[in-house]
Amino acid sequence: MIFWEIAKRNIRLHFLRSTLAMLGIVIGVVAIASMGILGNSLVATVSDSLSSVGDSVIVFPYAGGGGGFGGGGGSSENMKITDQQFQQIKRAVAPSVAIPVLSTSERMKVGVGGDDIVASVYGVDPKYLPDLNFELSAGSLNNANSGCLVGSAFAKDNNIKVGSRISMGTDGSKGTLRVTGIIKERGMSFDISTDNAVIATQAWFENTYKTENYDEVVVKVKSGQDTADVKVVIEKQLNKRDKVVSVMDSKATLASIYETFGAVTTFVTAIGGISMVVAGVSIFNIMMMSVNERVKEIGIMRSIGTQKKEVMSMFVYEAAIIGVIGSAVGGILSLVAGYAISALMLQSTKYLFTFATAFSVFEGVGFGIVVCLACGLYPAWQAANLNPIDALRHE
Amino acid sequence: MLFQDVAKVYPLPAGDVRALDGVSFQVDRGEFISVMGPSGSGKSTLLNLMGCLDTPTEGDIYISGTRIGDMSDAELTSLRRDRIGFIFQYFNLFPLLNIIENVTFPMMLKTGKGVDPERGREVLRAVQLDDSLFTHTPTELSGGQQQRVAVARALINNPDILLCDEPTGNLDSRTGAGIMDLMTELNRNGTTIIMVTHDPHIAEYSRRTIRISDGRIVS
Ligand SMILES: Nc1ncnc2c1ncn2[C@@H]1O[C@H](COP(=O)(O)OP(=O)(O)O)[C@@H](O)[C@H]1O
Ligand SMILES: [Mg+2]
Repeated sequence: MIFWEIAKRNIRLHFLRSTLAMLGIVIGVVAIASMGILGNSLVATVSDSLSSVGDSVIVFPYAGGGGGFGGGGGSSENMKITDQQFQQIKRAVAPSVAIPVLSTSERMKVGVGGDDIVASVYGVDPKYLPDLNFELSAGSLNNANSGCLVGSAFAKDNNIKVGSRISMGTDGSKGTLRVTGIIKERGMSFDISTDNAVIATQAWFENTYKTENYDEVVVKVKSGQDTADVKVVIEKQLNKRDKVVSVMDSKATLASIYETFGAVTTFVTAIGGISMVVAGVSIFNIMMMSVNERVKEIGIMRSIGTQKKEVMSMFVYEAAIIGVIGSAVGGILSLVAGYAISALMLQSTKYLFTFATAFSVFEGVGFGIVVCLACGLYPAWQAANLNPIDALRHE
Repeated sequence: MLFQDVAKVYPLPAGDVRALDGVSFQVDRGEFISVMGPSGSGKSTLLNLMGCLDTPTEGDIYISGTRIGDMSDAELTSLRRDRIGFIFQYFNLFPLLNIIENVTFPMMLKTGKGVDPERGREVLRAVQLDDSLFTHTPTELSGGQQQRVAVARALINNPDILLCDEPTGNLDSRTGAGIMDLMTELNRNGTTIIMVTHDPHIAEYSRRTIRISDGRIVS
């Protein structure tokens, strides 16, 4: 149609300013879409590294105040969970399995003449190992008293193989552990972070550190039971008089982490939206210019029988062309930008080609087109409603 | 076309301007009328009312028996497109369209789709424009050539009425005479022509002259 043709030619005539307006839209789309992509990749990365947690509830000794995360090693005896408390937990959560875990951090040395390193050391009774669902990349679950499992990163960093020996404590003062198995990478975990740790037996740990109390109790919740219910049951049982333990529901914690990431993604996308608003203003600006410099032309068109809606369509087409081209280029570039940002910030681009990415790009492109049309609408309406006589008299 | 006691008032901040006041006359099919009068006397206002670009403040205007005050903007626009041809002093071609496109533009409006350029060529030949210019842009043409294109554009939908606001006002007298010969021939073929001018020589081409002064018809 002729108005489409005129719109195209007018854009070509004002190539520079049309291109600049398109650039604004490109930036807006890239900002929104790449922020969305980054957010999605972030969530995907986190969920991947947390997914091995499964349904567990973790009981920590109450630290007073804050409570929660990582009631790790080095805590004093009254900051521990007693065996009596453990028995209470065990009864309360049945048929889910309660696993007592001891932990500390320790200085150690691998091989002869190696450097001193410090790593977490856990004590877990071998009978619970199947419940913890450790996947091994080599060796087997240890049963021997002086055997241990090590995490993948720890093994890699220190060149450890099945059968390697680790001398514990300063100058081997805590004896030697023999590696019987290497646990596959599990990522960050709420219960036991194995990747950089040594998992010894409970007996060895108690013997070595002369302790009988536990640092945490991990409850692997059986399917059919709800983590939230288990948490409530434990709190009811143990915190009757004083708050002695804090209980973390991994599922709820995970949910709130996702919620937080979701909010962050929304927030950064909204910041991207600001650049889209700026782009919209520039579209509005050039459309107003386009109308103002063509008042006379509009007057002629109207006087020789062009309907209002036809005049309007001509300007809407113009805004639409800028919007669609700008948004399409923006869509393509946002994939590139998303790739670059993911590669730089997450050191991984494996989450790029997902449905969520497609949605983010779609969202950015759609938003770009809508903004262009919305910002072109008022100038177009104004053009259509010019008084033909006044427009004709315009010089 | 019938004007009955027509007045047109432009409300301006400095006070209302009564551009036309109590104007009554009739135009019959096939007439060739020139409208003369000093600058600011209301000639263009009169022509704009005839061309359905505006409706009168007072009085009635009938075109083929229909009162234009009763018509919607869309109806008036269609009327302009289908039955009226406009020719302006400053040619007023569309700079983004080439000659053929300019000429066929009103036809595209009417049919709502693309138009066979051959139809444009026919009309352009009828106004004696050289074939080699058809794909040029308006600015590449001389004033006389542009006005011929404007006439062709006004004619493409076979209008009943041709309205011209100082069609030769921007042309030298020889080129102007050429355009006027064209008009005379169109009128001979049955087109009603109403032409605003302040050049008595040009007015001589018409068969009736309406003189107006201060918004009133004086003769
Ligand atoms: N659109 C308008 N708005 C306001 N005043 C107008 C308008 N058109 C014409 N006028 C005024 O009406 C009077 C008649 O104008 P016009 O019809 O253009 O005269 P002419 O064409 O004879 O020179 C003038 O005083 C002019 O200033
Ligand atoms: Mg005038």
